[in-house]
Amino acid sequence: MKVLVTAAFVVLAGAVHAEVLLSDDEIQQTLSFGPWPISFQSDPSNRVSNDTRAIALGAALFNDPVLSVDGAFTCASCHDPEQAFTTSDARAFGRVQLDRNTPSLRNLAGLRWYGWGGKSDSLWAASLHPIIEEHEMAHSKESLKTAVSESSYIDEFEAIFGDIQIQDPELVLVNTAKTLSAYLETLATGRTQFDDFRDALENQDLAAAANYPEAAQRGFQLFIGRGNCVLCHNGPRFSNNEFHDAGVPYFLSETEVDDGRFGGLNFLLSNAYTLDGNWSDDPEKQGAWVVRSVRRSHSDFGTFRTPSLRGVAETAPYMHDGSLIDLDAVIRHYSEIDTERLHADGEAILSELNLSEQEIADLAAFLESLSKAP
Amino acid sequence: MSSETQNAPKVHVAVDEIRLAQPFSILLTVCDDVAVSEVRVDAIMPAHQHGLNYAPKITALGDRVFRADNMLFHMPGLWELRVDTNFGGRSISYTSDVVLK
Repeated sequence: MKVLVTAAFVVLAGAVHAEVLLSDDEIQQTLSFGPWPISFQSDPSNRVSNDTRAIALGAALFNDPVLSVDGAFTCASCHDPEQAFTTSDARAFGRVQLDRNTPSLRNLAGLRWYGWGGKSDSLWAASLHPIIEEHEMAHSKESLKTAVSESSYIDEFEAIFGDIQIQDPELVLVNTAKTLSAYLETLATGRTQFDDFRDALENQDLAAAANYPEAAQRGFQLFIGRGNCVLCHNGPRFSNNEFHDAGVPYFLSETEVDDGRFGGLNFLLSNAYTLDGNWSDDPEKQGAWVVRSVRRSHSDFGTFRTPSLRGVAETAPYMHDGSLIDLDAVIRHYSEIDTERLHADGEAILSELNLSEQEIADLAAFLESLSKAP
Repeated sequence: MSSETQNAPKVHVAVDEIRLAQPFSILLTVCDDVAVSEVRVDAIMPAHQHGLNYAPKITALGDRVFRADNMLFHMPGLWELRVDTNFGGRSISYTSDVVLK
C-alpha cells in the first residue's frame, strides 16, 4: 500500500510540474502543422464533388460487390472502414497478392498526387483505376456499365447522371469513379491531442498546452529537429505529398522490383484520366499545371509518396510494402537506416539517427498522439 | 539577386508568401535598361542534393518584368533560387537564398 501511495504522489507531482518544453522557434514551427481540420474545397474537376446524392451513392458502391466483375470484392474488402480504411495485411490480397500495402483513405480531399507511386493526380482517377485493374476489381468498361445498369443503384445513378443507356461505357466508368471520389472526400480524421496542443500554443495558452504529455513533446522536438522527419512529413497533413526514398528495399522478388514513382509517372503520363485531360470537369483546368510541369528523373525509381501521419497509429503495418509491423519498427528503421540502400544520386536527407531507447519511446508517444482524441 | 558576373544588370526578385509544399509565383524585374532575350528559373537545396520537382513556367509581362509560376518548395530548409538570363548574347546567372521553415 505504501508503494502505491508513493507512486500516486509521483504521478501527481509530475502533473503539477507539466510544462511546455518547446523553444520559441519550435513553437513557431508547431503552428505550421495546423489548424485542423483544414477547410474543405470542392474538387472543380469533379462536377459531383460535395453533391449529397453522389456522396450517398459513392458510399453505397464502395461497400457493394457490384464494382468487382465477379462480385467477389468490394472496395471495403481492402479499405475496411472498421480498420481505418485499410487492413492489417502487409500487402493487399485481391485476386492475387498485390505489390503494395493498402493505404488508408482518410484526408484525401485536395491532394496533388494519389497512390504510393502517384499514378493519379485526382481522387476520381485514383478511384477509377482499381475498378478496371485486372488484379483488383477487374471490370471492363462494358461490364461495369452492365453491372451498374442491372444493379439496385440504377435509379440513384440516373438521377445524378441521366439515362445510362445513352452513356458511353467509358463515361459510366468515369461517373462511377466520381461518385466514389465524392464519398472519399468526406473521410477525414478528427482532432487529436496534438491539435489541442498546437492551438493552445497559437493562443499563447501555455497552461492548456502543458496538458500535452511531455513524452509526446520530446518526441515532437525530435520530429522537427534531429530526426529530420519534418523534411517530408510537414504541414497540417504531416506530409509534403511528394516522393522519397525511405531506404526500404524495393525488390518484390529476386527478379522483380517496384519502381515506385518512376512507374507512377509513366502510368500517369500515358493515360487519359488526368486533370489535363478531357474527363476533367473543370473548364479552367486549375490543377493541370502539376501533370504539365512535373519533372521526371531516373532517381524517381524506388521513391514513394510520403504518407500522412494523421491517424498513423491505426494503420499498421507501414511503408509501401507493409514490411514494418508497428511504429516502433518504423522509428528503429530510421534510427538504424542502411544508407547503402539509398539511391546513390538521390536526395541526401537520411542518415543514421542512433536514437536512444528513451528517444524511440518519445517519438512513438508523439506519433500515437496524432491518433488520440483530445 | 546576386551575380558573380561583374557589371551584371541588376535583377530584383519579389514574392508574396512561400508556403511549404504549396505552389507559388515570383516576379523578376531586370532593373537596367537592357534587352532580355531569355530568362530561366530553377532552385536547388544544396544540402539535400535535389531541386524542384516541377518546371517553373516563365511569362514575360513586358518592361523587363517576368513571372515564374509553378514554383514549389517541398521541403523546409535552405533553397538556392537560380535565375539564368541572356542579355543580347551575354549569359548571366543570379542566385538568391531562401530559407523556408
